[in-house]
Amino acid sequence: MEAKLITYGETALDKLAQWLRSTGQPQDITSVTEQYLDLLRQLVVEDENND
Amino acid sequence: MISQDGVIAPPTFLGNEEQQQLAKEIFQLMVMQGALFAVDAPIRQTRSNLVQFLAEQKQIDPESLAAAIDAAILANPSVFAREEIEDDVVYITSRSGTYRPQTEDLSHMFKDRLYQPEKPLPIDDISVVVSTTRPALTTVEPVFISDYWQIQAGLVPVPRGVPTEGAEESESISAGQPSPETSLVSETPAFSASVEEAVVAEAAAEPEAVDAQESDLVAEPEVVRSATEIVVDGQVIDLAWPVEQLMASYGPLLERALLAAIDRDPLNQIVSFGRNVYPQASLVNLGKNDLRRIRDYILEVGEPLLDTTIIADLYYHNPRQADYEGFRFSLNYRLSREKDFDFVGVEGARLWSTKGLPIIGTKRVKASEMGQLTSYLEEGFDDSLESQSAEAIKESGSVSRLLTFFEWEYGVLPFDESLKALFPPLMLPDQRSAIFRIDVPQHYTSYLAEVRVPTGSRGGWLQGLEDFFREHLVPGALITLSRTEEPNVFVLQYEEAESSEDRLLTLDEKKNKLAFTNVTYYCVVDEDQLINQQRFGKLRNLKLFPMADRRKADLLLEHIFETVGDQLGNRSEPLYWIKLDDLYVAANVLRPFSKSYLRLLLNEDERYYADDSVADAYFYKPEQKPELLEEESYEEEIDDEEDYPSMRRGGRRFRDDDE
Repeated sequence: MEAKLITYGETALDKLAQWLRSTGQPQDITSVTEQYLDLLRQLVVEDENND
Repeated sequence: MISQDGVIAPPTFLGNEEQQQLAKEIFQLMVMQGALFAVDAPIRQTRSNLVQFLAEQKQIDPESLAAAIDAAILANPSVFAREEIEDDVVYITSRSGTYRPQTEDLSHMFKDRLYQPEKPLPIDDISVVVSTTRPALTTVEPVFISDYWQIQAGLVPVPRGVPTEGAEESESISAGQPSPETSLVSETPAFSASVEEAVVAEAAAEPEAVDAQESDLVAEPEVVRSATEIVVDGQVIDLAWPVEQLMASYGPLLERALLAAIDRDPLNQIVSFGRNVYPQASLVNLGKNDLRRIRDYILEVGEPLLDTTIIADLYYHNPRQADYEGFRFSLNYRLSREKDFDFVGVEGARLWSTKGLPIIGTKRVKASEMGQLTSYLEEGFDDSLESQSAEAIKESGSVSRLLTFFEWEYGVLPFDESLKALFPPLMLPDQRSAIFRIDVPQHYTSYLAEVRVPTGSRGGWLQGLEDFFREHLVPGALITLSRTEEPNVFVLQYEEAESSEDRLLTLDEKKNKLAFTNVTYYCVVDEDQLINQQRFGKLRNLKLFPMADRRKADLLLEHIFETVGDQLGNRSEPLYWIKLDDLYVAANVLRPFSKSYLRLLLNEDERYYADDSVADAYFYKPEQKPELLEEESYEEEIDDEEDYPSMRRGGRRFRDDDE
């Protein structure tokens, strides 16, 4: 995905919720932010590498 | 053809006479077949059917008739369409005399409109445009409109880096001529790129002598960002960086933006409480009965309760259970959304209060009044860190301070910088207060104290220590507040001493006046701030202004000078003198003051001026008030030697006969 199509806090929020569900515990916002950045990186960086 | 009055005119047939006749006959047959069809609906008939029917009627050879029919149809392409299917031929016409294949217009389909122009929203963002729920009652509710549509409507400016059609054009135009910004970006090393530097350089690159209007018209060229950069609250974030690097550089910004986005999410997929987040689908459902039980239990105990206490006592959940933290989050989140419950805890001690609990602190001072009385703290006249730095307080975990009369009388401590450094910050953004337990190990007692944090221009304060102060301490006593391992528990200590007896200032509430009474106390005091009759005898004449009037600091200051200051002038030209330390003690009888706030009031009014011969002493030369002179002469007659305070603005006067 192109970075310009990403809206921080909106894009891939469903995937973040999915990850949260899989942890089974409430998470601190710091670790959630790290996980979210990781998700966005996967969307953008890996996509770029594939291109 | 259809005429204006709705009559369908027969078509004109082409070909030779025989073909025209045959075509006309076929057309009439097909129109009869589709007599109930729409005018432009297709009427189909196969060649074999036509041959069979006409051959029987005309008694001619079917094969030659088939060739004749085909020739007649082909001679009239405007009337008939011809389709070959397998081993037969189908002729198509309509009642209007012509056939046009119908085309379906799909250009306005909803799914197509969502994707024009080029995929404005990812598919999971449909919810920001279309509501997924239908309210039971029709209510006018705010609708979140995505940034994309707001930008399209021109309601918000286009943020830098957001692609627009114009931007794409400008990018393509400027592709051959790199702008200063592009060179900046390209020259900056990937991991040391500092946006601040870029902004400074950008500002320096702008020509200075550009006309303001012109500079408005010339739009800033878009910064050409790499394919991995996104914009978060105006900050360019490069997703090519490692996550650790991103968190180290922009952690607080990213966390804040993500929390805000989670709260805005219309699907409410993730919910938050404080710094914790949890999927909405995993929340434990707590119903009305649960809420009622929790409320009843808090009321039964009679004080705010920890979430862990509620869970243990009402739900018998064990912290070792796998779902404990999830249940705890669910409870906190549910209670935070109920108006009957107030969160009064801090991080690490989540306390819940409910309506009906006893009020903590004095009822003699309203919260609105107290907020105004301590507003000077928020105006920059807080000198509480002069003797102890905030770092020292945070490190040592304790604060020492001398009690003033107002603090002692009402059990209130202004929430100044020293207390802010000692107490933990509130947990929720909309939280107004927190409740702490103050243990007094010297007397094996504990008190609940409420911290009201500053809001806007109003100051904060801590209340609830009225009973302890009045019972064990006197104004001028040195107290020490210390943190404990529990974030919501503090320890209050004072230095004990041999019993001392003195005539100290007290407030007689029944008579609503100040008086000196014999008091025995057992604590170490600062002699300069001990308000005894010997040093501060005149304070009994201080007028107890209504609490709402005490926010008028200038009015109080005049009155204190006239009451407590030394009268160096005469009745016609009064001149009062007082040392700042004494003024501080006297002023703090009526309301909280800091010395820096007193200095401000003294320096900004020309009626006050410093005594150059004595350090930190001030004169007050009031303006002559002719209308009061007559009153004062009358006073002289009745007062004999007593030096009563002059006429007050409120028109009231006091005579203290407590002795």
